Order: sequence, then structure tokens, then C-alpha cells
Amino acid sequence: MAAADSPSAALRRRDLCSRGIRLAGKMRADVIDLLDAYVEQQGLDASASVAAVEGVPLAAVERWDEQTGTQRLLENLAAYRAFRALLAQMLEEQREQLGEADAGLGRALAAVLLQVSAFAYHLEELLRLESRGIPGEEEEEDGPPPPPRLSLFEQKLRGLGVLRELAQWALRSVRDLRQLAKPSPATGVAPGLVESP
Amino acid sequence: GSLGDPQNLKCVTHNLHKMLCTWDGSSRGRHTQTDFCYTTNDLTPQVCFKTKERRVEIPVPEGSITVTIKSSGTAFATKEFVIHQKDISFVPATPHILSLMPDFPTSTLNLKWSDNGSVFRYGLDALWQIQILRKEATEVTYYSKLTHEDVILSWNWTSDMPLECTSHYVKIRCYINATQFVGPKDWSDWSPAEMIPGKDTEPGGSGVFPLDPVVAVGSDLTFCCVHEEDQHITNMTYGSKSYTMTQLSSRSHAIRVLNASVSNTSGTNVVCRLEDGLEGSVVFVGYAPDIPQNLSCETSNFLIIKCTWKPGRPSGLYGERRTKYSLFERTSGKNVSCEVSEVSRDHVCDFPVLRDQKTYDFILGVSNPIGQSQSSLMVDITRRVRPKTPEKLTVTGNNSTSIQLRWFINGSFAGTRLLCQIEISSSHSERKLHNVSIPGRKFSTYTAQMNALHPDTKYQFRVRCSAADHFWRWSDWSRGVEQTTSEAPP
Amino acid sequence: ESHIQYERVGADVTMKCGSMDWDAAVTWTANGTDINESRLNGSYLILKNVDLSQSGQYSCYEGSSWHLKYQTYLRVGTPPTEPVLMCRSNNYPKGFYCSWHLPTPTYIPNSFNISVIHGTKDMVCEKDAIPKNRCHIRYLQLFSTVKYKVTLTVTNALGKNFTTLTFDEFAIVKPDPPESVMAKPVPNNPRRLEVSWQNPSSWPDPESFPLKFFLRYRPLILDQWQHVELSDGTSHTITDAYAGKEYIIQVAAKDNDIGTWSDWSVAVHATPWTEEPKHLTTEAQITETTSASTSSFMAPPTTKICDKGAVVGS
Repeated sequence: MAAADSPSAALRRRDLCSRGIRLAGKMRADVIDLLDAYVEQQGLDASASVAAVEGVPLAAVERWDEQTGTQRLLENLAAYRAFRALLAQMLEEQREQLGEADAGLGRALAAVLLQVSAFAYHLEELLRLESRGIPGEEEEEDGPPPPPRLSLFEQKLRGLGVLRELAQWALRSVRDLRQLAKPSPATGVAPGLVESP
Repeated sequence: GSLGDPQNLKCVTHNLHKMLCTWDGSSRGRHTQTDFCYTTNDLTPQVCFKTKERRVEIPVPEGSITVTIKSSGTAFATKEFVIHQKDISFVPATPHILSLMPDFPTSTLNLKWSDNGSVFRYGLDALWQIQILRKEATEVTYYSKLTHEDVILSWNWTSDMPLECTSHYVKIRCYINATQFVGPKDWSDWSPAEMIPGKDTEPGGSGVFPLDPVVAVGSDLTFCCVHEEDQHITNMTYGSKSYTMTQLSSRSHAIRVLNASVSNTSGTNVVCRLEDGLEGSVVFVGYAPDIPQNLSCETSNFLIIKCTWKPGRPSGLYGERRTKYSLFERTSGKNVSCEVSEVSRDHVCDFPVLRDQKTYDFILGVSNPIGQSQSSLMVDITRRVRPKTPEKLTVTGNNSTSIQLRWFINGSFAGTRLLCQIEISSSHSERKLHNVSIPGRKFSTYTAQMNALHPDTKYQFRVRCSAADHFWRWSDWSRGVEQTTSEAPP
Repeated sequence: ESHIQYERVGADVTMKCGSMDWDAAVTWTANGTDINESRLNGSYLILKNVDLSQSGQYSCYEGSSWHLKYQTYLRVGTPPTEPVLMCRSNNYPKGFYCSWHLPTPTYIPNSFNISVIHGTKDMVCEKDAIPKNRCHIRYLQLFSTVKYKVTLTVTNALGKNFTTLTFDEFAIVKPDPPESVMAKPVPNNPRRLEVSWQNPSSWPDPESFPLKFFLRYRPLILDQWQHVELSDGTSHTITDAYAGKEYIIQVAAKDNDIGTWSDWSVAVHATPWTEEPKHLTTEAQITETTSASTSSFMAPPTTKICDKGAVVGS
């Protein structure tokens, strides 16, 4: 059980949550813009359904409302670390395939990568606040194992899958952080991570 | 003759000097002993031998041959035949395919077979008919000359569709145009077929082929979608357009795209929509590189030679498929690859000035996955000097009628005479140009004295330089400097 | 032998008199009325190019004994056209419902079958008692990028048709309109109106899934609406109302992050506060009041005496 929240910790968490909600909201808007640009630039069909892509964290979750606060933060953190590696790889492939043509998309991709890294750091802040251990950054330093060499079309579809899942994750993060920011009925203060419904 | 007599004697030769003769007889006498004798008409003694088969191999006669067949069955049936060369059929031996090798990236099959020329005593013209079987057969004829030796013939055939799309079967037969041989001539039998299996025979071989090709604008392309047996294919699109599909096999459908236009930066998607998924390929349609125009090389510091050129029509290819440039200098054998961005307008390549080498024989090589071209230029670098912009122009001496200027030029001009031009302007006199010739030095400063100036007058100076011997181009003007001459002494 | 026989509008129908021979003497009735012999071919009844009005009970009696040999209930109708299907989530993230109807009647009974597939998973669509043509599905997963595929098949005796919808979880989120919308003037502020409302009761968790609102208002005398979007809170003060003019006000709601706007709420009316007519303190003022009190008419507290148009009936 987490130590009873001191008012300052609760306020700090609330502040981190609301800043996190804004960061995730902005990230989601940018990812959706990037997704539109990516679909057009890659000549893809926006409505194409893409099979789950190996190594891309799925935002879909069952019994979401029953998750504890710690679960939410840990799952979020793992996801955004994976997205950091995936976006970096997309950026590399983008340079390899397009060179300097269409640098706009490369810049937009780099901007989203920055936001993902910032949000991952933000989640770590929240976990530190709760004196929660941050999952081994080292093991994930080199990120997920390099995926098998994909064909160009598979690379395009994977990119589409990555951005779609990231947009959904950003939405989920907004909802998760709202849950964390919710004052618990009894104390009227945002609950410790463990107790949240 | 009676029923049991030998009849229908037929002779076939595969090599124009031996022939195989066969005949019919009564079925009862199938394995009885037969005396087979033949004599040609040039009085050579009759040759006889016994055989139980109704086939014998004997030499092909120059003229005609008399054959006597005596079967020693119940009744001694003897039959005589006179065979002329025109009665002998010439059917080459069935060719044998040595190898059939696919080259998937180029959709090319390489066929190798022996022409079996050693069985003939002299050179002959041969005709080879090669059949490629897919959904529909394609027949091609190939000519060769037999040379009394066994020559391995090799022949390439580029399919109009990727080899992965469906299995390709190849067989071959031969016709030899032996003009001296008067008998009927015919095609050999077809060789056994050799097969290159398509992906539609492989479990899990699904996909769109060719995979991620680079092709020239205007090409006619065939794409196929290989899928699982039970998978229903919804449609195939090239870019945003849906195309009518042709079924190649139960697991392969194809579309034909004519006169492909240039693709956008990320390539044109060829998408095969299946009931439960997508398969796809990305095709890059671009141009082979143009011959670079206006290739020009100069040096600004005798350290680096800068070559520039006009690339011509953009290739439409980017990233790892972009057009790449390299500068090769024939005399030194040195080769430099150029860092050229496909989107920037100016194309520049640096080549190091080599010790003790004045003349450079450049070849600018240009290539991309679709083609290549080149331009060449022979240049005496001492005649292509365009110094860097003079820097740090300062006034170092000043009196009422003269001013001394100093400036720095980045570069190694030892052994080169520089011509520098100083522009003098002032409010009440016209802009004047003053040329001064100075011996070049290595990374050095240079000075010049401006005389005959007016006292107490504000002047603006700037300087540019070039090679004095073999003028090529002026450097850019330096930044200006302003100075007022002192007042005249009373 | 009696049963229901379905036939398409415009079809040609031949009815046999049970097991009677073709040349047997029979009598046919439609809904109890004898049918003219000209319609018969031997003992067969021939109905050409049937229409809806020819639905009914057809009976065949043996000529002499009037023994009922055959009876059928003919129902003339049409095969179903492609049904119209709509799916929506007004209680996100609990689930969504799908409702459907046939654009054209078939005049014969139809049966509907709905299948909901999410990726590879078949989901149960629980039929609602009322309304009949509706069922609802519980979200098992949230934040999924896998699309939902809903297929509705309608079948009747004359044919079958279907329609399919494919959508993302977040695309069909559309709250119900805001409830309890109220608007009232703000005392001493002739240009203000205070509007308040509540989250739709069907929206289960406004805290984790906050709604934003869209307010539109206009004076009745104008057609042009004014709009204001509100990212939180359930009240707003209009500060630029035309003094004294009656306003019509509506509110719509949308999830803060996904989906589409609700329909507009029920419209409410309100008129900004107006100044009370002042009592005259000078000589002239007293005289006027004395004469006014004798007249029979009393103005409503919020209406100016001098404003002819402002006199409003109750």
C-alpha cells in the first residue's frame, strides 16, 4: 500500500497528471496530423485495416476500468519506450528511402519522437513521485529486438500501424491520467497509485 | 510377298552418318533369328549380320543401299529393299537441357543445352525451338551453327511477368538444315520439360511480385498477387486505380499496367486486397540519368577542385535509389564519390588537387537503378583558378594622397601569379578599377598601395582576384572598407 | 390442406385444388366470395400479375359435395431491400447499440440477424425489448485500432438482403444531448443571460470521459445563430445579448477527445433582464401617476411603458 498521500505529494501528482493530460492531448493531435500526412505521402488507403504489427504495443485493453494506477503508469511507460524505438527506426527508414525528398514528413516524425520521449520521462516522474521503481531503462536501452527485414510495403504498413496505435495510446494515456487525477471519494485527494479503481 | 515377309523398311538418321532401320513382319516371328545384309552400290562386299530385333544401325550411304532381310522362321521369307538417301529421314537427336536458371530480379530465365555438334562431321545450320509454358505457351526460335564440336549453348529469355508469379516450364527441340542431305528432314522430339517453380507452388509464398522493383517511366508492368488457395482476392490496385485481374493459377492473379508514369517520392503502391488482409509491393518508376551538361571544374585554393554540372531531368528516384555521382580521374586513377542531394539545385563534387598534377582527365559517372551515363572533361587546373573571396580587407597606411590596403586569400597560390582588382569609389569621383599583379603565396596576405588620391576625401575600397596567367574567373568581391585620406599638409 | 403462400407483387400464381384432377368440377372462393369461372383453368385457379390487394384466404370446394378440398392464405409482398443500419455509442466507454430499419415495406414478415465481429472475435448483440429493431454490445476492449464489422441480414419468404458497417471504436461515439437546459436573466445586466445544463444521464463517467459543449443562441427576431464552444463546465453566461430581446438557446455535447457532436438539446427561451420603469419624483411626475392609476391597464414589471412593441401578452 502506498504511504498515505501528503497534501503536497497529492498536489504534485495532480499537477503532473494535468500537465501529462495536456502533453498527451497535444501529442495525439500531432500524431493524427502526422498520420494523415503519412498516409498521403506513402500512398496508402486511410481505411486499410492493418494486422497487428510485431513489436508495436497495442493500446487495446480489456477491463480498463479495473486497472490500478501503477499498472496504468507501467503499461504506459513500456509502450512509449517501445514507440520511441519504433519512431526512431521509422525516421531512419524515412531517410534511407526518401533521402531529403519530403523532409517535412521527417521533421514531423522527429517532432513526435521528441514528444514521445518527453512523455516517457513524464511518466517516469509520476512513478518516481510514488517512489515506484522505474523499470530497467538499461534493458530497454536498445529497445525491442530489431524486427525482421520487411519489404517496403510492409514497412509502410508497419508505419501506419505504429502511428495508429500511438494515436490510440495517447488517447488512453489521457484517460489513464484522468483516472489518476481523480480525487478518491473518501479523502477528496487523488488516491495513491495502488488504490485507484 | 506373303504375310510373314519383312515390310515397311524405314531408316532414320540422327547424325547423317549412321541410320537406324526398322521393319515390320509377322507377329509370330517377332523374336526369331533374322539375317540382315546390305550392300552399297560401289561394289563393296555385302555385309551381313544376324539379329533378333527388327532394327539395325548401319551407315548412311552416299547414294543408295540394297538391303536383304531373310527371317529364318518357319518359312524362309526373304525380302530385298533398295534405299535411296531421299528415303532416309534425318531427325536430330532430342536435345537435352543442361540447366535452367532463374534470375528473379530481372525475371530472366537462362537456358543452357549442348548442341551435340560433335556427332556431325561438318558445320550445319541448326534451328532450336524453345517453348516456355505458363498459363499460355510462348514459342521462340533460336539459331546456331554446329561446328563438329559439342558447344554449350546459352540463351536468356526475359519474362513479361515476374518468375515468382507462376511456374515456368521450358522444353526445346531441334531442326538441322542439312542441305546436302536429300532425305526428308524433321524436328527432333521435344526435350523433357524443365520447370522453375513459381511462388504459387510454395506454402506461405504469398505476396505481390515483383517486390519493390525500380523501373523506367513508360514501362509496361505485370504484377501478380500470390495468395493461399482458399483466400478470396478482392481486388488489385496500382496506385489508386483498380485493374482487371487475370488468373494465372488457383493461387495467383495478375494485373497489367501499361506505360507506367513516374511515381511519387515514396513509390507507387501495388496492393492486393484479400478477404482477411493486404499484400503489397512498392514500385519506383523513374528516369535513367541524363548525360550531365556543362561539366566545369575549377579550384579556388589549389587544394580542392570543385566540379559542377547540370544534371538534366530529375530521375524521380530518392533515398537509396537516388542518382549517384562519382568523379574518376583517369591519369591518377583516383575515384571520388560525390555527396549530391537529390533535391538541391546545385550539383557539386570535390576532388583533391594532386601533387605535381596540372592536367586532370575527369569522367563524371552517373548511375541510378534504371541506367547510367557519364560526361568527361579534360582540364588544366592552372587555367581554372578562381580564388576564394579576399578576406579581412583592411587599411594599413594612410596619408593625404595614398592609402595602403591589405587583404588575405585562403588558398595555396605559391607559384601562381595573382591579378587583383581594387575598386575605388568616393562621393565625388567616378568608380575606378585599379589592377595589380602580385606573386601568389600560401595562405597569405597581400598588400597594394592606392596613390593619387584626394586629400581629406572619404573613399570605399573592395578587392577581387583571379589568376594573372590564363584568366578564368574573378573571385567574388571582398567586403568593402572605407577610409578618409588625411588633410593635405599646409 | 391449409397454409400460407407468399408471392411477389406482379407474379402469376396458379393454385391447384389440392389433389383434385384438372378436369374436376370445383368452386374457388376468395375470402368467402366466389371467384368467377373465367379465372379458372379446369380446376386450377390462375391469378395474373398479383398485387397487394389480392392477399387473402383462398378456398377450393369439390363441385357437388361442397367439400373443402384446399385452402391457403396468399400473402403478396416483396423481397427485402438493403436495410439501413446505424451503430452508435452514447454511453462510452460502456458499449454501443445498433439499430436498423427497412427503407421500403415488404408487406410480409421479415426476420433480422445481426453479427458483430471485432477482429476475429464474435460479439454478442443483446436485443433490446423496446425498440424492437435495436440491440446493444458491451465493449470488451477499449482503445482498440481493430475495426468493428457489423453485418445485418434481413430475410423473408421472398428473398434476403444485407448491409455491412465497418467502423473504429471511437468513430461512433456520439453522446445524447445535454439535459435540464435552463436559461435565466442576470439581474441588473440587460445584456446577459445565464445558461446551465447537465451531462446527459446516459453518459456514464464524465470525470474520466469529460464532455465538451457547444452553445448556440439567437434572438427570435434573427435567423443567424451565435456559437460558443466550452471545453468544460456545464454553464455559461451570454454577455452580448440584445437588451430586451427574447432568445432561443440550445446546447450540444461531445466527448472531449473522440467521436461526433450530439444532437441539439431541447430549445429554451429567455429574455435578458430589463430596467423597471422609474416612479416620477417631480410635480409633473405625480400628476401623470394620478392620471395613470385611474386607467384599468397594469404593465408587466419587466416592460417599459414607452416601448410600444414591448407589450407582451402572457
